[in-house]
Parts: sequence; C-alpha cells; structure tokens
Amino acid sequence: MSDSKNTILDFVAEGFQQGWKHIDASRLGEDQSLEADVVIIGSGAGGGNSAEILAQSGLNVIIVEEGPLQTSRDFHMKENEAYSNLYQESAGRQTKDRGIKIFQGRMVGGGTGINWTTSFRTPTETLKYWAEEMGVLGLSEKEMLPWFEWSEKRYNIQDWKVPPNANNSALETGCEKLGVSWGKIRRNVTGCLNLGYCGTGCPVNAKQSTLVTTIPGALKEGATLISKARAETFEIKNGKITELKCKAMTPRGNAPAVQTIKIKARHYVLAAGSIGSPAIILRSENKILNPYGLVGTRTFLHPVNISGAIMPFPVNGEYGAPQTSYSDHYIETRLDNQKSGFKMECPPLQPMLVATALNGHGKVHAEIMRQRPFLQVLIALQRDGFHPESIGGKVYLKSDGTPGLDYAVSGYVWDGIRDAFIAMSEIQFASGAKAVAPVHRDAELYHSLDKVKKAIASLPMATLKARLFSAHVMGGCPMGENAAKSVVNSKGRHHEVDNLSIFDGSVFPTSIAANPMESIFAVTAKFATELAKVLVM
Amino acid sequence: MLTRRKLFKLGAVSGVTLLTIETFHASLEIPPAPEGLGHSFEFLTPVDRGILSKITPVILAEALPESNEERVLAIKEVIVGWDIAVSGLQPLTQQEIRKLFLVMDSNFIFSLTPRLLTGVPGAWDDPSEIDDCLNNWRLSDPESLITGNELRIGYMGMVELTMASWYTNPRSWDFCSYGGPPVLF
Ligand SMILES: Cc1cc2nc3c(=O)[nH]c(=O)nc-3n(C[C@H](O)[C@H](O)[C@H](O)COP(=O)(O)OP(=O)(O)OC[C@H]3O[C@@H](n4cnc5c(N)ncnc54)[C@H](O)[C@@H]3O)c2cc1C
Ligand code: SF4
Repeated sequence: MSDSKNTILDFVAEGFQQGWKHIDASRLGEDQSLEADVVIIGSGAGGGNSAEILAQSGLNVIIVEEGPLQTSRDFHMKENEAYSNLYQESAGRQTKDRGIKIFQGRMVGGGTGINWTTSFRTPTETLKYWAEEMGVLGLSEKEMLPWFEWSEKRYNIQDWKVPPNANNSALETGCEKLGVSWGKIRRNVTGCLNLGYCGTGCPVNAKQSTLVTTIPGALKEGATLISKARAETFEIKNGKITELKCKAMTPRGNAPAVQTIKIKARHYVLAAGSIGSPAIILRSENKILNPYGLVGTRTFLHPVNISGAIMPFPVNGEYGAPQTSYSDHYIETRLDNQKSGFKMECPPLQPMLVATALNGHGKVHAEIMRQRPFLQVLIALQRDGFHPESIGGKVYLKSDGTPGLDYAVSGYVWDGIRDAFIAMSEIQFASGAKAVAPVHRDAELYHSLDKVKKAIASLPMATLKARLFSAHVMGGCPMGENAAKSVVNSKGRHHEVDNLSIFDGSVFPTSIAANPMESIFAVTAKFATELAKVLVM
Repeated sequence: MLTRRKLFKLGAVSGVTLLTIETFHASLEIPPAPEGLGHSFEFLTPVDRGILSKITPVILAEALPESNEERVLAIKEVIVGWDIAVSGLQPLTQQEIRKLFLVMDSNFIFSLTPRLLTGVPGAWDDPSEIDDCLNNWRLSDPESLITGNELRIGYMGMVELTMASWYTNPRSWDFCSYGGPPVLF
C-alpha cells in the first residue's frame, strides 16, 4: 500500500517553495486589505483557465479559493481523505429535498483536481440551441472551434489509446452486441499511469487539471493565490463593484474563521462554479446585481441514475482510467426532445463510492459488497434544460448564508430516467451480466432481462426512491443577449455591472449534454481573452 | 432537514413531546459507549456512541469480521471514523445530524414503546428490532404527511456515514476483495 510516502516529483509544490505567491488564509493572524487589477473568485476549470490568460496579458491577478492548496504529494488515493478535503461539503452536498447527491470540487484546481478527465467538445446541438432558443451570440460551432483546439492543446486533451478496464469494456461489448452506438473518450492527461484514482486527486501530476497547468502559469506571471478564503459579498457603489469581502476559513476548512480579507480591483471575475457563483451574488443582496431575480435559476445537473450488474468475470473497476468509453445513442436518437435524452458512461468503483451509492443495509448490502470485484456499473446522465418542462433548479441561501440547490426532477426527466434504467440493463445483459440491479429503493437483483424490465416498468420514479447523483452542476447565471432573460452577455460580462464577469460553468443556459470541463475551458478562454484586450487597452 | 416543527408533529402523533424525547435521551440507559481507541471525540456524545455501537453491526452485517475480538475493534473504529467525518462537515450539517440523533432516539421510543413500559431498554440488544426499525425508516414514504421525507433521509444519512466509515477502513478491504491503492514505486 502506498500510504503517505508519495515521493514522486511534485513541480507544483516546488514552485511554491521557490516563491510563487500564496497566502493560506487559515493561518492569517489579522485582517488583510489587498489590491489587484483583477480578482478571480474560484480556481477550477473557469477560474484557473482565466487566471493564466489574464496574468499573461500583464494584469496583476489575485485568485481567491475557498478550498485548500494540496498538490500531488498530498494525494494518497484514499477516499476518506479526498472526499473530506477536496470536495464541497465533504462530498455530502445534496439538493434541498435530498433527492440528488451532488459532487463538486473544493480545492485549488476546483473540479478539475478531482474529476475523471473525460473531455468532450460542446455538442453542436447544444451550441445551436443556445443560439436559436437562448439568445446567445458568437458561440457557434465555427466560432468555438479555435477555442476547442486551444483547450485541447493547453490541457493535452488527446485520444486515449490504452485498452479500457473491464468496467468500460463491458459498455463497449454490450453496445456492440445491441447495435447501440458508442465511442472512446478523450482525456486530458500526460504520462497517465492508468491508475484509476482521478477522483481522489492524481498522485503523479498526470491529470492536466488547472492545478498543474494554468494556475502555475498564472503564478509564474506573478499572480497571487489565496487559499482557504471564502468570497462572501461584493460592495457596490454607483453601479460598480468597489470591493470584494472574503472570510478566512478555519485550518480544517469547514467553517469561516474571524479574519477577513478585503480586495479592491478594477475588475471582478466570478468563477466559483455553479451554486458557488450565484451564492456570492445572492449574498450581496444588491438589486443591480440581480435585477430580474434570475441569479441561481436554470441550474442543471445532468441527473444521473445507476445500474449495477454482477458479471461472471472479475471487473475490478477501481483500477484503470475511470471513464474511457461512452454511448450517445440515446442523445442522438432523441434530439427532437420528444423524450429526455441521456448519455451513458461508467464510474470508477472504489469501495466507499460503491458502498454509499448502493441501496439498503445489512445482509443484502453486504452480499453485493462481497461480490464487488464482479460488479460492473453504468451511469446515465440526463440532458436537462432543453425542454419547456426541464427548467432546472434554483440556488438559495441557507440560514448560515451557505448555498443550497432546490431541484425538482420534472416528469419529463423522470421518464428519461426510467428509459435509462432499461437501456443500461440491456447493455449489461448483452455484455454477459448474470444479474442486474437498478439502484432504486424498491429494486433487487434480477437474473434476466425480462425480469428487470418488468420490474423497472413498475418501479416508482420518485425522489428518494430512485437514487440520483450529479457531478456536473451547470448554469445558474445564464448568458444571453436579452438582459431581461439572462445574467451575463455572450462574453460573460454582467449586463448591468460593468466591472463584473462570470467565467465558469454557471453561464451555460442549459446543460451541456456532455461532460462539461472542456466546454468551460473553451468558453472561458474566449471570454478571458476578450476581457484581457479590454482591460489592457 | 429535521425541523423542530416536524419533530413536534412527530411527537404529537405518538403522544410524546420533544421535551420528553430530550429527557429520555438524557436518562435512557443506553449501552455503554465504546472508548475511543485514543481518539478524543469531538461530535459524538457517549449516548450517540452507544447507539452507534448497536446499529453498526445491523447495518454492516456480514461485512464485519467474524471473530468477536476483531468485531468489537471494527465497531469502535467505525465509530471513530464517524466522528472524524462528521467533525469535518459544515456546522449547519452537523446541527442536522445532531437532530437526527434526537429523532432516532424518539423513533426507537415509538417502535419500542411496549418494551419501554416494562422499563427495559433491552431492545438495544435485539438486532432484529433495530433492523425492523431501520427498515421502517428505509421504507417510510417520502411523501408521508406525518413524517415527511425525514425518516427516509435520516436512514440514508445513518447508513451512508456508517458505510463510508467502514469501507474506507483497510480492515474492510479483504471482505470486498479490494487490494487498496496501487503501490506507486
Ligand atoms: C467527481 C467529479 C468528476 C467529474 N468528472 C468530469 C469529467 O471527467 N469530465 C468533465 O468534463 N467534467 C467532470 N466533472 C465536472 C467538472 O469538473 C466541472 O464541471 C468543472 O470543474 C466546473 O468548473 P467551474 O469552473 O464551473 O467550477 P469548479 O471547477 O467547481 O471551481 C469552482 C471553485 O470555486 C471555489 N469556490 C466556490 N465558492 C467559493 C467562494 N465563495 N469563495 C472562493 N472560492 C469559492 C470552489 O471551491 C471551487 O474550487 C466532474 C466533477 C466531479 C465532482
Ligand atoms: S488514471 Fe491517470 S490521471 Fe487518473 S489518477 Fe491515475 S495517473 Fe492520474
């Protein structure tokens, strides 16, 4: 077992030793007042990406991040450590009715630090929908192409040529047998050892997260990183932001400490992610930031349901690159939106993730855990936000000012979830499964396709019965040209407040209908490049 | 999650008020709390630990080691893991879990009332009664007018924290045939 002796070269840790500017706010003895050209809130896909571009154009940049600074040598491939240190709410964030469990990163690197490296361009249909239905301008496929290419180069997004682990190859075989279309996933990695622990932080700096690419890029240009600091509110005067107020977090990072940090800047970039970015605007309680009450609305999740199968051969899905194969069959055949479309992929299968996702307790649960090495798991991600009934959720503030998400799954999406249970079990039986269990309170292991289909037909599709998850929170500050229907324009600039931009996944007016990281890289690279031009003029 | 109002509602239906629940909580002869294996507990009270020591074997069943000695140690470690995990949660979530423990006790009171009338909190020693109670929670209707979705949520929270604590413990890995993180060099 590896334990805490990860001795592999860690150039990020070394960069800090050699003088990259970093303040760990949890160690501050007193309040701070700082100034910069641009302050960026959040260091994930959008924040890290924008930081490098803005810093390289000569601007003085401060990055404020609520999560800790940890680097490859701190990543020990241990689930308990990773979930409590590197995920929002210790990976226990849930929607208001507890019906959907939400995974989001909370570390320097944001979601890119613990995500599964799956890289897709924004689907053409999504960009078209934004242009035609959501009033988005300048983000057509043709206009985005150079930015996808830019992102692929910057984050080394490439075809993954290593054979899939047995979890992913079962998806391929099943689809192949059924004549269901499938494909290979591209990944943002360099020198990947195919370990399978992307979700607990890459221990060898192979994953090209913002932590090892664009944040170092910004720091090399002289940017300052503040970790363990939570941006609280904006101060507004005469229609402009005059100051950002932050609170230091306690060393453990789960609660704010007493120290405050005030930052004055020419321009403010919100990149705290969906849920996080809307929360800062809502806390600021200023009409001009939210004139139409749209902030926090249209938050999408790609709600995910799960199907587990017992295979006659060992799968050991905890090892090997977690996601390498996918099927868009039920997206491509449902683009008319008559029925909710969904993407199918595989998750990594470390024991805690499996044990907590499964249903129930006692003998039944233990029996499945005993057979864990034979477990094959498929997930289906619903394409939410493309139908009048699929309006997404709304971010709200809890009594302590931290954000929550109220998301009701629409009947339309529930129908898609039922279809997905069926589609996944078909693939699993086609790839040789002995038995299949839809992850649903009232389901059990079924030993034939007939039986599972019959069961799925009568399972109630309802909150807290079908177990749902999300690792893709998107939207909440939708972009568009109509100021009465969107929060920012098609360049990520706030409609009313001139010195505020939002550069993260929260600007998407629908879900992406693919894993969102590359979309966030591409869109925010475009936005940040345009903003840099304006600011250095 | 478990609002005071709902708690009262729950109490009113069964003729038990929050006050009596709280008194009960303090006075019930709960099984002795396992010691902390050198861990100093931040969140779990001795009462909570006592409850967990009885619930854990029901939740984990065969996944716990067979030999009595190893089993006892495993349960202690699950409880320590619980405490570490909960201590790292946001204060608001910690408050919710505190309330969950209160409701959990109250639910035990309701479902075990006849036994209690005989003055014996002995049900804690009957795994099948604990299992019945957990199943009541598990299968409680999320749309129930009386308890709302709270019992189901409580069930999921309890089970999840227990599973998370055990299956991140290397002692559980033999059972689920997990080889642990790969050795790097
Ligand atoms: C387990 C997991 C696996 C995933 N796998 C994939 C995948 O394989 N492919 C893919 O495309 N996508 C994947 N995703 C999703 C992807 O990582 C996210 O969509 C993406 O990182 C979102 O980027 P963002 O910039 O919007 O926000 P984030 O990357 O979430 O960054 C926001 C940052 O802001 C910080 N923050 C929040 N509030 C504040 C505040 N008030 N003050 C200061 N800082 C704050 C957060 O701590 C966080 O670090 C995965 C996500 C998870 C959780
Ligand atoms: S699979 Fe590759 S990218 Fe993921 S953790 Fe392992 S080495 Fe890093």
